[in-house]
Amino acid sequence: MKTLTAFILFSLSALPAFAAEPPVAIDLIKSAIDNYRGLNSYSEASMTIHRKEWQRVVEMKVWTQDLDKSLVRVTAPKKDKDAGTLLIGDDMWSYAPKINRIIKIPGSMSNQSWMGSDFSNNDIARADDIIDQYTHRIINTSTENNKKIYTIESVPHEDAPVVWGKEILRVNEDFVFLEHQFYDQDNQLVKTLIASEIKLIDGKYISLRQRMTKTDNKEEWTEFHTSTIKFNIEFSSNTFTLSNLRNPR
Amino acid sequence: MNTSWRFAWRNIWRHPRRTVLTILAIAFGAALLVFSIGFQLGQYDLMIKGSVSIYQGLIQVQKEGYLDEPKMRSSINNIQSLAQSLREKTQVTSIAARANGFALVSSNKRSYGTLIAGVEPKYEKMVSIIPDTIREGTYLSSDSAHEVIIGKSLASNMQIKLGDELTFMGSGRDGSIAATILPVTGIYESGSKELDRNLLQMPLKTFQETFAMGSHGHAIVFYHDDVKQDLVFKQQIKQALSSHKELVTLSWDQVQPGLKQMIELDYSSGWFMYVVLIAIITFSILNTFLMSVLERTREFGIMLALGYKPFNIGKLVMLEAFILTLFALSIGTLIGLLINLYFAAYGLTFDGMEEIAQMYNMPSTLYPQISFESTLIGPLVIFVFTLISALYPAMKIRKLQPVEAMRKI
Repeated sequence: MKTLTAFILFSLSALPAFAAEPPVAIDLIKSAIDNYRGLNSYSEASMTIHRKEWQRVVEMKVWTQDLDKSLVRVTAPKKDKDAGTLLIGDDMWSYAPKINRIIKIPGSMSNQSWMGSDFSNNDIARADDIIDQYTHRIINTSTENNKKIYTIESVPHEDAPVVWGKEILRVNEDFVFLEHQFYDQDNQLVKTLIASEIKLIDGKYISLRQRMTKTDNKEEWTEFHTSTIKFNIEFSSNTFTLSNLRNPR
Repeated sequence: MNTSWRFAWRNIWRHPRRTVLTILAIAFGAALLVFSIGFQLGQYDLMIKGSVSIYQGLIQVQKEGYLDEPKMRSSINNIQSLAQSLREKTQVTSIAARANGFALVSSNKRSYGTLIAGVEPKYEKMVSIIPDTIREGTYLSSDSAHEVIIGKSLASNMQIKLGDELTFMGSGRDGSIAATILPVTGIYESGSKELDRNLLQMPLKTFQETFAMGSHGHAIVFYHDDVKQDLVFKQQIKQALSSHKELVTLSWDQVQPGLKQMIELDYSSGWFMYVVLIAIITFSILNTFLMSVLERTREFGIMLALGYKPFNIGKLVMLEAFILTLFALSIGTLIGLLINLYFAAYGLTFDGMEEIAQMYNMPSTLYPQISFESTLIGPLVIFVFTLISALYPAMKIRKLQPVEAMRKI
């Protein structure tokens, strides 16, 4: 509770600073990433993969720590129970209980879909690439429901190892990503991530529902819905290790 | 009419030496064209056959839309029994069912994302050369054996050898996690770099079990040695599948348009050379005809004075050109055809062909195509060109005035 109060105080003190002078694009993005990943978190979520003729729901538990560590554990459906993904920095491992093996996902697979969804391995693993590898600029500022919304255009550096031509992000003054558009090298919109159900949890505004939709096929989307989320939890030191990935508690 | 023919024939042989030289020029050109085109087309046949026999087959049946977007769910139900019924219903007997997928494959040392095919080992041997190019170990033993074979380049990239276990991880047809571990029982080297580096094969039932496919598969592959019969077979297969509206029958050039386009490009660039050759022949013939008309001005003047119509004299000149060309082309075509028949029986080998040949899984010995098209298309084009060139001297006659013409030497 102490930390929570501290956090609210921190948030409150941060906001007026932006109100006074126009924010810098990169700071907005950094703050937004910090906002949803900055502290340790534990959440329970479901991922719905929707296709024209079928749909699949996967339920999972997610642990995150700092900006660069996360562990995902599937809890349902039964067939895939206990399967997991561990991310540490740019490295990614997958565990398949069926064969009791851990496989390291090579960099060449980073554009493959993650667990059959519309998120690529890259989307899952390298969220902070956007800080190091891109140049940002605010292209629009608007106000909706009394909240300022900044539209930021992020263009990767010339030599950045990135597949996108540019990305457009909409961030509100509570540092919540509202929308994230991915454009290819020919400037065509490929897919869009839209966030909704923004709730104030533990003093942070968090989007509980995020949907990635392919532009050329509106009937193909993946929705990530967070049902429970807790921040600032102490994890045991072996949480983000391969042995923990293999042996779920 | 009869007189014209006799006239023309006699006129041709008034200068035997010149005529023989002209005939030789045309005949040589024609023989060269028949030879070149025969070999070019023969080479294409070998390329097509070589290319489709490696893996893709001459014809494939797939779910509609699978070719453009090969999704695991665009599959054919009960694929093995459908393949079996096609074996009974059509004249093509080399038929095999396959399922295709993509997975992350790991050895102890390395991981690669590769293509994986589930195949019917017994029938796969009839439609693809891969089972025959196993360099180490053996090919897959049965439909449900827990085995995998791997291309030589991929095996060395992954640093694995016979007997090592490979771990597969990917998505199943229902979106679930597909994972299995299989030992490598064979290493193949098809000669196609793309396949040797990218394709693993496992038995179809093992694939279906791993990727939650039920009895589904993605392609029924047909092969036949006579690649020129592809459209006939395609029709038969289509007929046999008329009740399956959701399936499409694709010929080799639809499955792999690149090869067809490359052949078309090569053929048209070949024709650029032929047109140059034909133009040279045409000009030499034009020269001959023009000379023979110019030196006969006096003769034509007398004919005009005797009441011959300019049109008829023009016709006579054209007739001479026609007879001469036809005669020369017959000789040339015959010679070209004889050369091609010889090589069709004994083959032709070039130094340094092996490497190019290997790229398309072709034998390094070439054989010309003996067909109506390969033999006659070259001479036919020469024929048209020479007749057009003969028009010019023939037209000149129309301008002749009898009195003036008679005074010319």
